[in-house]
Amino acid sequence: MHSAHLAWVPGRGWQGPAAAASADLVLYFGGRDALADGAAHRALQAACPRALLLGCSTGGQILGAEVEDEQVVALALGFAGTRLRLATAPALPGDASRDSGAALGRALVGDGLAGVFLLSDGLGVNGSALVAGLADALGPDVPLAGGLAGDGARFATTLVGAGDLAPQRGLVGAIGFYGAGLRIGQGSAGGWDAFGPRRRITRAEGNVLLELDGAPALDLYERYLGEEAAGLPGTALLFPLRIGHPTRPGHEVVRTILGIDRDRRSMTFAGDVPEGWTAQLMRGDRGRLAEGAAEAARQAARTVPRAEAAILVSCIGRRLLMGQAVADETEAVAATLPPGIPGIGFYAYGEIAPHAAAGASALHNQTMTITLLAEAA
Amino acid sequence: MDGALHRVFARQLAKATDAAGRVDLDRLGALVSEAYADAERDHRRVDRAMGLMAEELQAANRRLQHLVEELRLQNQRIEATLENLSLGVAMFDAGERLVVANSQLAEVLGLPPEAVRTGMTYRDALAEGIKAGHFPGRDLDTLYAERRRTFTPGNSRSFEEARGDRIVATATRALPGGGCVLTFQDMTERRRAEARIEHMARHDALTGLANRSELRTRLDAALARSRRGEGFALLYLDLDRFKAVNDTLGHPVGDELLRAVTGRLRGLVRETDLVARLGGDEFAIIQTRAEQPEAATALARRLVPEISAPYDIEGQQVVIGTSVGIALAPADGATPDALLKAADLALYRAKAEGRGTWRFFAPEMDARMQARRKLELDLRRALAEGDLKLLYQPQIDTASGRIIGFEALLRWHDEERGVVAPAEFVPVAEETGLIIPIGDWVLRTACREAATWPAEVTVAVNVSAVQFRNETLVETVKQALAQAGLPGRRLEVEVTEGVMLQDTAATLAILHRLRALGVRISMDDFGTGYSSLSYLRSFPFDKIKIDQSFIRDLGQGGDARAIVRAIAGLSGSLGMRTSAEGVETPAQYAELQAEGCAEVQGFLFGRPVPSEVAREMLRLPAARAGAPGAQDAA
Repeated sequence: MHSAHLAWVPGRGWQGPAAAASADLVLYFGGRDALADGAAHRALQAACPRALLLGCSTGGQILGAEVEDEQVVALALGFAGTRLRLATAPALPGDASRDSGAALGRALVGDGLAGVFLLSDGLGVNGSALVAGLADALGPDVPLAGGLAGDGARFATTLVGAGDLAPQRGLVGAIGFYGAGLRIGQGSAGGWDAFGPRRRITRAEGNVLLELDGAPALDLYERYLGEEAAGLPGTALLFPLRIGHPTRPGHEVVRTILGIDRDRRSMTFAGDVPEGWTAQLMRGDRGRLAEGAAEAARQAARTVPRAEAAILVSCIGRRLLMGQAVADETEAVAATLPPGIPGIGFYAYGEIAPHAAAGASALHNQTMTITLLAEAA
Repeated sequence: MDGALHRVFARQLAKATDAAGRVDLDRLGALVSEAYADAERDHRRVDRAMGLMAEELQAANRRLQHLVEELRLQNQRIEATLENLSLGVAMFDAGERLVVANSQLAEVLGLPPEAVRTGMTYRDALAEGIKAGHFPGRDLDTLYAERRRTFTPGNSRSFEEARGDRIVATATRALPGGGCVLTFQDMTERRRAEARIEHMARHDALTGLANRSELRTRLDAALARSRRGEGFALLYLDLDRFKAVNDTLGHPVGDELLRAVTGRLRGLVRETDLVARLGGDEFAIIQTRAEQPEAATALARRLVPEISAPYDIEGQQVVIGTSVGIALAPADGATPDALLKAADLALYRAKAEGRGTWRFFAPEMDARMQARRKLELDLRRALAEGDLKLLYQPQIDTASGRIIGFEALLRWHDEERGVVAPAEFVPVAEETGLIIPIGDWVLRTACREAATWPAEVTVAVNVSAVQFRNETLVETVKQALAQAGLPGRRLEVEVTEGVMLQDTAATLAILHRLRALGVRISMDDFGTGYSSLSYLRSFPFDKIKIDQSFIRDLGQGGDARAIVRAIAGLSGSLGMRTSAEGVETPAQYAELQAEGCAEVQGFLFGRPVPSEVAREMLRLPAARAGAPGAQDAA
């Protein structure tokens, strides 16, 4: 397995080593504006004619230990024995997202399927349903990774490009990895701290939260955000919501907000918020978030100690909170992993990885998730 | 934090430095300002969040405190409710530990208060019950194994059981979330009261003996057994002279006497026999599991003297007697009614044959009873249809030889029987109460017919002791006189010693009221009772009629004449006239005249005749000649 970083410089095209031209797979991430015209995608097709392409818009790109906003970044991967397949599907909204996931699963299921990396439209889907549909089609043993495309702090339009399809709204693309030689290591951690009273979800519809403890959920967020409420829904990411089954402790998941409806006083989350579950606000501390990222790296490295490539999907909420200190977490990851592993990644509206406690792959929010790849010699 | 800031600044510096190593100070300044603003926002955010959280927690705390207070109040209410229940209540949790118990629990279960402890296990609770002796013969392991199904989800039971000296109703219900609730109600008093009522329904309150209803039930059972060959005897007894004891010594003494009799009866029978009181002074005994009639004979033989032995009641010696009628089952009756009737008939016979004895039922007793019954029906009809007649026997004044009055004598001419003598039907009339309407009819008829006689002639009417017990007697006499227009002095009421035997005060009052109407009172059949002389002192009779048994013996020597003389002398000295009945010979008449007897009647002077004949006799000189004729004969 070999890998190479590439960077898109407007006006000058893709810059990178010549070896990238023979890559089997290129993952790319960039700002929505930079990807919108499709030029970068098309240029990449030309530069890497054999490669399957998969990329999306972000809330910031990760290249090695750096976080940056200007460039479109890519990682070209060449595999020795691993076969690849790309599948795409429309990103259906709400509960129908499960059908999108199932369609991808049907396209990808096959002998030797070792894992799937998925990028989805970040706003028009119920990420939980999408991942559940995919996991149902593939069975619980196939590890899933990936994330929901981002749009900075704007939450307006997210794009996914896959294969011949230039970046566009409403698309889901997934790469299937086949073969016994591929090793995949995954880690996911948050580092957020729950605070304040434990509340109960008293009214919700799918991933739309209406009431906590009988009062509108949006009221609570507005009160906590104060003047920053003007920045909703983005600023809601500063206070993620940890939800848990009322009688099964240890299965808590963190939910991030995708949108609000000021008239209904409701909030739309990237995953389900079931009625009757408990909910607790969380807040982040830069140091603790960075420590969470390092923990995700440790988890991933446990399975694949000698990784040949790393893919980082972190949450836009972490970036919003950490500001300029966001590189603390990418640096913490780099410091935790063995030196010299080419890494790429992005800030997402949702992360896909196995649940640390439950095992099954699911949608996460407000985490750093790390996927390590290696190919046996 | 310092380290983190240094790293940020290093990155800012790197970003503001170009490839040639020149630092863009404006860009560096902007990055630094932005970082400070970031940090400032973050601080404000954290402050705000902490403040709000504190507020929220305070509010939550207030709600909780309120809730705690509410719960405390509610707890108090529930506790007050529990403590004021008459039920004992226990609640065990899913771990079978006692979590709720009210103070009535120990009370109802009859356990010492310290035996009920919150936190104790259900098994411990059962052990306390065993310790208190509630489950005799049971060991804890099996009892617990059997009772812990109380905790099985969905289980719900109610049952009643003895707990020591109590009867406790228990209701159990398993709770949906595990554990169970048990309630206990002390049923001891209720069950005892029910048992008392049940006992009262079947027993006589005064003596505690079985009552008539219970006797019938037991007779039914005994008859059922008798159909399988196990015969038995029914003894029916009543107490002679009990009424007199009650009347003279009062009901408390009577009641005490009945209890004493009960004690003796109980001492005479065996465990397997049943003694019942049927009311008043009537008792019955069912004698089972014995050879009959030998056993019944033996029992009756002991019973009569035992009951007749004197009683000491409240310092008074009381003597009564008893008569016993015995029926044997199944020979004498197949139903309780038939058996009771048979025993009753036998008792009737025992009493008729002299009291203080016993008789077995014999089929002809029944026949005789049927005959009496028919006689009663015929007599009733005779009264209604006018088959009763009055005949009048003349009464002669010995001094003048003139008829001065008649005695009215009742005659019944029955088509089937012919002429029936009063001695035959009057006892039946007295027993059945028919004597009252018959006596009324006699009084009215005699008065009406006497009114057709000359003004100085009297009519004598016999009045039965039964009539004297009836409160309307005086009124009847008054009406009879008024309707006939007969002056009271022309009516003479004849009473026997039997009348004077009953409630003396009431009898004397009636006699005085009759006397107040002008009616004359005579003592009939004098000399046959055993305390005749005391009656003469108790009431100033107008006339004493010497019993005809003395008259019959006159003229044959012996003491009859001495007795007649004594009575005549005594009467004279008390200011009463003397009369003799049954005078049939001139010799008798002569002696009576000689002894100063003022009046006579008998066949010598005329047989009883219808009223119109009597009227004729008064008009004819021959009627008056009857006496001189007799005189001639003497």
